[in-house]
Amino acid sequence: MKKPLTLLFIVVLILTFAFCAPSRYVKTLEKKQSVLAFSFGGPLIKFGGAPIPIPFTTLGYAYGCSDRITAYGNLHTTSLLFGNFQTDLGATVKLYEKENQFGFSASPALQIACNVRNQTGFRTWPSIDLNSYYHPNKKPSYIYAGINSWIELSSTKAHDEPQTKHAIPNLHIGYSVVKTKWQHQFELKYLGMGIANTPGVVDYIGASGKGTFGLYYSLIRKF
Amino acid sequence: MKKPIPVLLFSLLLTSSCLKLDSNMYNTSDKIKEYKLDNYTGTQDFILDGNYAIPSSLVSIFDLSSQASDEKNSTTIKALYIGDISKIGSDTIILYCHGNKWHMDFYWQRAKLLAHTRGKNHYGVMMMDYRGYGLSEGKPTEYGMYADVDACMKWLKEKGLTNNRLVIYGFSLGTASATELTANPGALIPSKLILEAPFASTSVLVQDASQLNMPSDYFTDVKVDNAEEIKKVSQPFLWLHGTADLFLNYKTHGEVVYNQYKGSYQEKFMVDGADHGEVPQKMGFEKYLEVVGSFIIKK
Repeated sequence: MKKPLTLLFIVVLILTFAFCAPSRYVKTLEKKQSVLAFSFGGPLIKFGGAPIPIPFTTLGYAYGCSDRITAYGNLHTTSLLFGNFQTDLGATVKLYEKENQFGFSASPALQIACNVRNQTGFRTWPSIDLNSYYHPNKKPSYIYAGINSWIELSSTKAHDEPQTKHAIPNLHIGYSVVKTKWQHQFELKYLGMGIANTPGVVDYIGASGKGTFGLYYSLIRKF
Repeated sequence: MKKPIPVLLFSLLLTSSCLKLDSNMYNTSDKIKEYKLDNYTGTQDFILDGNYAIPSSLVSIFDLSSQASDEKNSTTIKALYIGDISKIGSDTIILYCHGNKWHMDFYWQRAKLLAHTRGKNHYGVMMMDYRGYGLSEGKPTEYGMYADVDACMKWLKEKGLTNNRLVIYGFSLGTASATELTANPGALIPSKLILEAPFASTSVLVQDASQLNMPSDYFTDVKVDNAEEIKKVSQPFLWLHGTADLFLNYKTHGEVVYNQYKGSYQEKFMVDGADHGEVPQKMGFEKYLEVVGSFIIKK
């Protein structure tokens, strides 16, 4: 049977709602440096035969608390269109760095969401990004790769059924073009690992019938 | 523009909650000008052979007036009856609540199949296009859908149907109406409930997709909660579901509904390898009719 396509589209949107943003601040900022960031992108869907990303957007601000720690906050603007307030507040911590060569960072964050219109559904989820980055030819621009996961702390879900999955990992790889005042970040994510994407009706692009690929672009203005 | 970001944020707040996925729950995209039934050539889950033909004299399509309790005006919907209307006063009737897709032409083969339960036209079968579906007027809503099914019950009651001869059957989205009107009866109290590929609730729909304990009202105002409503159902209950249902997983949806049932008798039939909408054909039409028929006559 051909599945109800519109309902599958909802499934994709819901999946994407949870993981609608690219990796945040793979590298820490300089101390007292601040940036504004705009990100755009989502899972790849087939539209008119061509793969295009669903356009999820976020706006964010980050501040270099020290050379090792950058605090950030982001507003998920597309979620607002669905009547939901969604934000993530977190910090990127430099774990190790060999300057202008490579390094490792971690970004623990708290994802916060609620339904604005009904004033219901207030939820928080911890999340973490683990990243490694590499500067080819020791230039400012860098390649990065990592893993991101939201953590579900609840032991039950709807109808008191047990919540069996507590980590929802996604993989990503990206390239950050670093200029003096601007930074362009391109990222490919593999979302929803292990979640069936119902082959045969797919309007989005996954691998082996599971998950979906997402493509993201971030524009970062440094101050 | 000097302040693009504040303006954008303000615009988003103004339009906040403009987008909801409710309308996507109801797939009315295939527009028709008339019901063609056997002559319908659009996509269908299966097409029955000539052995399942129904004489045209036993097929009636007509208007019904539907009005939810909180509505000021009624909505005209289209309903279909398979059988001899003059015998509704003595026949057993299966009231079929179809899924979220399109119109009665798409579900005609299913209704026709049910009209062969325990023999050709042994039972009457009624179905309707919910408001906004097919040639029914209006826009689909959750409570409108319940009112539309109740409008059928009112019509059947006027024709002489009694509670003990009404069996309600819901498929997919239709399981919401079937469960709701069995748990909270309208014009008639169904004597038995059959759910094919039911969904547990909009919450499970969202949580299956996100894998997180995420509330459904982030995405929809539809409050369908079969897993909760089934607790009020005391009538015998039959659950049919495909084990390969990729859309409404039989474990996270169907089994939850089945396990929440507290009534007098329950029966399940899992169909190996059947995806959403494939239960009758993967089961085999004769086996399907045997299971449904045996359940209906079970004391």
